[in-house]
Amino acid sequence: MSDPLDHLEDEFRDHIERETRDNMDRGMSPAEARTAAVRKFGNVTRTMENTRAVWRPVWVEQLLQDVQHGGRMLRRNPGFALVVVLTLALAIGLNTVVFSVVNAVLIRPLPYPHADRLVWVTEANSLLKSEMVAGVDYLDWKAQATSFDELVAYGYFPGTLKTETGAEAHWFAQVTSNFWNLSGARAELGSLFADREHAGLVLSDSLFERQFGRNSGIVGRTVALNGERLTVVGVLSPGFHFALPQSLQGIGPRGPARKEIDAYILDRLAPGSETRHGPMSIQLLVGRLKAGVSAASANAELRGIQARIARENPGVRYDLQSVRVMPLQEKLVGAARPALLILLGAVAFVLLIACVNIASLLLARAASRRKEIAVRAAIGAGKWRVARQFAGENLALALLGGTAGLILGRSIVALLARSAPQAVPRLGEANLDWRVALFAFGITLCAGAITGLSPVVSLWQAGFLEDLKQGGKTSAAAAPGLRLRRLLVAVEMALAIVLLTGAGLLVHSFWRMNAHPPGFDPERTLSVQLMLTGPRYHALPQQQAFYRDLLSRIERLPGVLAAGVTYTPVHGLIRKEGDSMQLSAQRRVGAYTVVSPGFARVLGIRLMQGRWLSEHEAGPAVMINESCARLLFGNSDPISRRIVAPLLAPAPQDIPATVVGVVGDLKYTRLDADPDPEVYIPYLKTTLLPVAGVMVRTTAEASRIAPAVRAQITEMDATQTPGEMRTLQDSLAETIAPRRFNLFLFGIFAAAALLLALVGIYGVMAYAVTQRTHEIGVRAALGASQSQMVWLVVRQSMRVALAGVCIGLFAALGLTRLMASLLYEVKPFDPVSYAAVSLILIATALVGSWIPARVAAHVDPLVALRFE
Amino acid sequence: MSTKGEKERIELLQGTLDLLILRTLRSGPAHGHAIAKVIEHNSQDVLLVEQGSLYPALHRLIKRGWISAEEGTSENNRRAKFYRLTAKGRKQLQVETGKWEKLAGAIARVLNPARDEGRS
Repeated sequence: MSDPLDHLEDEFRDHIERETRDNMDRGMSPAEARTAAVRKFGNVTRTMENTRAVWRPVWVEQLLQDVQHGGRMLRRNPGFALVVVLTLALAIGLNTVVFSVVNAVLIRPLPYPHADRLVWVTEANSLLKSEMVAGVDYLDWKAQATSFDELVAYGYFPGTLKTETGAEAHWFAQVTSNFWNLSGARAELGSLFADREHAGLVLSDSLFERQFGRNSGIVGRTVALNGERLTVVGVLSPGFHFALPQSLQGIGPRGPARKEIDAYILDRLAPGSETRHGPMSIQLLVGRLKAGVSAASANAELRGIQARIARENPGVRYDLQSVRVMPLQEKLVGAARPALLILLGAVAFVLLIACVNIASLLLARAASRRKEIAVRAAIGAGKWRVARQFAGENLALALLGGTAGLILGRSIVALLARSAPQAVPRLGEANLDWRVALFAFGITLCAGAITGLSPVVSLWQAGFLEDLKQGGKTSAAAAPGLRLRRLLVAVEMALAIVLLTGAGLLVHSFWRMNAHPPGFDPERTLSVQLMLTGPRYHALPQQQAFYRDLLSRIERLPGVLAAGVTYTPVHGLIRKEGDSMQLSAQRRVGAYTVVSPGFARVLGIRLMQGRWLSEHEAGPAVMINESCARLLFGNSDPISRRIVAPLLAPAPQDIPATVVGVVGDLKYTRLDADPDPEVYIPYLKTTLLPVAGVMVRTTAEASRIAPAVRAQITEMDATQTPGEMRTLQDSLAETIAPRRFNLFLFGIFAAAALLLALVGIYGVMAYAVTQRTHEIGVRAALGASQSQMVWLVVRQSMRVALAGVCIGLFAALGLTRLMASLLYEVKPFDPVSYAAVSLILIATALVGSWIPARVAAHVDPLVALRFE
Repeated sequence: MSTKGEKERIELLQGTLDLLILRTLRSGPAHGHAIAKVIEHNSQDVLLVEQGSLYPALHRLIKRGWISAEEGTSENNRRAKFYRLTAKGRKQLQVETGKWEKLAGAIARVLNPARDEGRS
């Protein structure tokens, strides 16, 4: 037999048609007949619903009834419902946010095909902490290794893209042509470059939109990238993103923030052009393993190949490096995992606090509804049925709260993904998908179940009929309930203090990170990336002349205090004259930074010993910072000692140079790391790296001087275009974007916890005062003063708060240790943070009990004594 | 064909519709509209089958196993669902009819005691 519910709608339609025909037989007009038939049949949807309902199991039917009943009860007490729904919405919303991020970053696979088989392949240098591969090694690996489907080499760099209409600074990637296969990229327009298509440029969809206004005529046109002529061969499909790691660790500024890659050129690796002894290119590698091959076995294979290469090339130093193959997902987001898991834990605390709060509210409500329940029990509702009705109410509340939370969470996620997409790798991909929805639904049900338990349990213990006999008088019966509620609030306070302590530690760290010495003012420092391009600047003297001229022009601009030039610091081994190059010798790592004399004035660097470097040093001379002095010379005087540095003599080579001055340490490249030991090299005495940074210290806000600086550059040579121009504050802020992200979320959690704690303590105290109105009235009648009444209430709330604070501080001591990796110059046990949050919480408890205390103080004994 | 005024029509009591449906189907399978028509016609249009409640009632009966539904073709060659009395339903019809007659008789006796006395 077929399902009787099949074709139900057809059946109804058929029924109405037959009725219509019958009506027409009776002489009605067709329109009349139809109207009459429809009316006689009644509401089709409702009939359908009723018919379906026949088949529904009884428990579903009752559940729906319970939820409906719950809805009715809530409509009768909208204030209570609102508080509960808002509390839940806040907690579930925040949980949804964190889970969305965790989902996007840690759970969802990379947006490339066979993402589970993608691996990061590198040579890790334990001393420089760098991870990169020489181009020549890549070529050998690619030729010999059998573990990979694809092995892609790539790199990325900033550049200026010039067209007939203008020039814009972007970030570019150079990739081997098999990148397209590995990433599953498709061309929306034109094609993707193949091997040996050296002059091809492929645009991202977003660049195609921003710089070219979606004009498809751009394909086939010639453009200039950093002065080199390239042909646009294709445009990538919308939604394609460069998702490979961007981590040139060990060279360049440490851990540059992720950049959105806007266009691609071919990585020109050719077997002929790569050597082991001369200049070699530096590559990043990502491979796709063959199906069934593990990262470990690929690692073993490459180690074997690399050992053979080392044997065959005894002059090349491979001993500092070791081959490493790890899952790409791990490489990309592994560093973000601890912070995200801590955030997930913290936000679970918010949910817990919200549940405790709601449980406490429900408990109070259950106490005042004893009579109603007793009546229900008396007319035949079993314990289960009553419990189920409570559950129905809670479910209705939880679902409302969950829905509101999902909406709230969705908007916060969108905000995060838009405002700080680079703070955490892949954060920009965060959104609400089915996993997030499922998670939100799950925690909603859990919250409903947890919060619903307390009133049910309390009712279970109390006999139903007892209450009916007592006429709902609560003075004696409610005492255990109140004690339970006080306990709940203490727990809530304890939970809140754990969160607050976490946030406090982060705030303190943040403050330490942003503490600058006097003289350093990143908001009034403009940093301009400049790359001299074209044949005019191939030779060093021309480059130097350009920068010297530019600096003096900029220094003459109104509002400019000083201008200096520097180049991306190069990290490497630093040594005193006479130190052995042997590996057994102490290995010290630091940065060589090229500076012009104005550089120190721009950053407000202080001279500690000796003198400043001048424009024209007679012999090879360098300055070092305090860290470097400590590292190389310990406590002895570094002035006039000699350090080996890469200088022009007149060809570039490592020669001993005299230390003429020691300057103070300054964090000007990263906020959340100790300053590197640095050796400052005069800019006229060394070769220039391609990307130079011009730094300008201004009297007013730095970004305002940017157009004038740009104008100076164009005036000097219209073929040169400045790259990124922004204040040092902005670049520094970028280096701590992940920390700011953590602090932002943690701060929200702590604020939510505080708010909930406030509501909780207020609720309990207000309830306690209502319960004790009679007693308070007696006291007032016996002559207790108003201040005594206030004290009565405050003392009670303080007992609860202090108990909570004590438990919370102990818990915080244990739990904040997990946060150590998120802190900067702050110990997990930081007395300042602990004292501050304890005070905040006690103050909150005071505020929460203030209104109830005022109420108690103004109780009229006559009214109170009649109060029941 | 005349229709009675709304006032003379009686809405069915809860449960009686089930009995009437079973009775109607005793004479053979029928589709929903026909069942409603037959009940109204046989009661000389006194009983008003609220059509919205007909279908839930039919499904209740199917669920209890008293009738079954099957796809068929109606007189004008269109697909229609026919309801048929099962053996279990036939038995139930006897039980229900018996109950109903008892009830109707009892009510009649209460309403009209004189005639009842006269008979005894």
